[in-house]
Amino acid sequence: MKAFAVEFQKIRRRKIWLIIALLVFVQVVWSLWGVSDMDAHELQQGWRFSLYQFPLLNSIMMPIVAAVVASRLCDIEHKGQSLKSLRTILPAKKIFDAKFLCGAVFMLVATILQVLLICIIGFGKQFTEPIPVRLIGYYLIFTFAINSTILVFQQVLSLLFKNQMVSLSVGLIGTFTGLFSLFFPQGFQKFLIWGYYGVLMFVRMDWNPETRISNLYWTPVDWSGLIFLAVFFFAIYLVGRLLFIKKEF
Amino acid sequence: MTEIIVTTGLCKQYSKVLRVKDLNLSIPEGVVYGFLGPNGAGKSTTLKMILGLAKPTSGNISIFGRNIDDRNRIAILRNIGSLVESPGYYGHLTGEENLRIFQTLRELPVNEIDRVLHIVRLENQKKKKVSQYSLGMKQRLGLACALLGTPKLLILDEPTNGLDPAGIQEMRELIKSLPHQYGMTVVVSSHLLVEIDQIASHLGIISKGELVFQGELSSLHQKSQHHIALRTMNNSLAVKIFQENKVPFSVQDGYLILPALEDAQLARYTTFLSEKYVGLVRIEERKKSLEDIFLELTGMAVSL
Repeated sequence: MKAFAVEFQKIRRRKIWLIIALLVFVQVVWSLWGVSDMDAHELQQGWRFSLYQFPLLNSIMMPIVAAVVASRLCDIEHKGQSLKSLRTILPAKKIFDAKFLCGAVFMLVATILQVLLICIIGFGKQFTEPIPVRLIGYYLIFTFAINSTILVFQQVLSLLFKNQMVSLSVGLIGTFTGLFSLFFPQGFQKFLIWGYYGVLMFVRMDWNPETRISNLYWTPVDWSGLIFLAVFFFAIYLVGRLLFIKKEF
Repeated sequence: MTEIIVTTGLCKQYSKVLRVKDLNLSIPEGVVYGFLGPNGAGKSTTLKMILGLAKPTSGNISIFGRNIDDRNRIAILRNIGSLVESPGYYGHLTGEENLRIFQTLRELPVNEIDRVLHIVRLENQKKKKVSQYSLGMKQRLGLACALLGTPKLLILDEPTNGLDPAGIQEMRELIKSLPHQYGMTVVVSSHLLVEIDQIASHLGIISKGELVFQGELSSLHQKSQHHIALRTMNNSLAVKIFQENKVPFSVQDGYLILPALEDAQLARYTTFLSEKYVGLVRIEERKKSLEDIFLELTGMAVSL
């Protein structure tokens, strides 16, 4: 708890909140543009529209936000070579845990703000379909779970490599790969942590080229995908933490 | 005198090269212990192993009478302040905010921050961002951080690096005062013999990873023997005379080196040489310097 609180002392003036604010701002503008001109048919599928649009937006933006947050949290230790001092006071695993929890707070806030945005848009535009409370709850949990998995992966890279270009480049490549994986079968998507925004989506689109009308429909939640993601999370967390513990100075 | 740090057969291997070999350190409590060695001798590696920042390949480390392992490491290090290689800091925070982080983690009272800032004379710079500090100020901040909570043991690796001459003198005076003022034991590593000579009472000399000397500084001084060097116009004749009279001597760089002699005895020899018309042109009293001893022990040149 002490180490967790200290993480927030360390990041004063690092403006990490600004990254989250920027993300939310872009998503507000994007979604307002998306719902600005909805007809009755679209309003009838309003919640589905939001829960289809936001995971796509997330696959573009969230991995980059996670990479930047992890990098901002970790590069302060490399710049001033402070890990040497810290590791004489705290066990390495506690430093790792505290950093992850601190980053997770930012990702959780981003996710909650996004869900609030979805609700505000839904009520503001008066979507005519009933609000899928349970699925919005799932959306929050799944999005946070994916964000956390990407965050811990980025944190491992940012802590192990002094040069933050390594972690940021991997994050960027991962983002593009995750985005392209949306066009591939789900079996392939499940091997990429960045592809899980697509795996754990429960809205699909059926577009009719003749009528040029698109219909959004609910699909069952892919629980096996969530289990795979959990395996990824714990594997990355435990292996990454072990590598950090074993790192010598 | 009880030992505060004892290492037994301490070894560290990096990619098949043994950087520290069978190191048996024995550091008494309440002294300033100088850990001396040329650059790359293994000083920092040894200190890092003591602080748990590097894992020994083999051997034991005992601090405060307890063998250090992964479980008790942090509890033991709670009583140790350290500054290894370069000071650790957060450049975007002020000096005071930096210290607050370590004060919070060590669960110390808030007034500790002002106390240590006063000791290192940084109280007027505490609101300034550390990225704007000079190297010397960063070094002092690192020392302030190590002094938080008045630890029983202070481990300082090359603490005068980057300081100007006045800062070096100030730092040395401060280190010397710590055992008397706060009852601390201070381990200071340096590659500068003159520095260790000024501040330490005990020392260990490491060369190529091996401990080549350990003991009180005074015992090292005792090794520096006096001798007499004579230069004559006819050394070969002088050699012959000394050999005939069974006077112990050696020849070095055109000088005849005699052991330390009583004045009366030396006077007899010089008179004797004059009577034989050897042409005595110089009589010098020489003393082996600490640097010479250091070079002998380490077998290499060193920054002095």
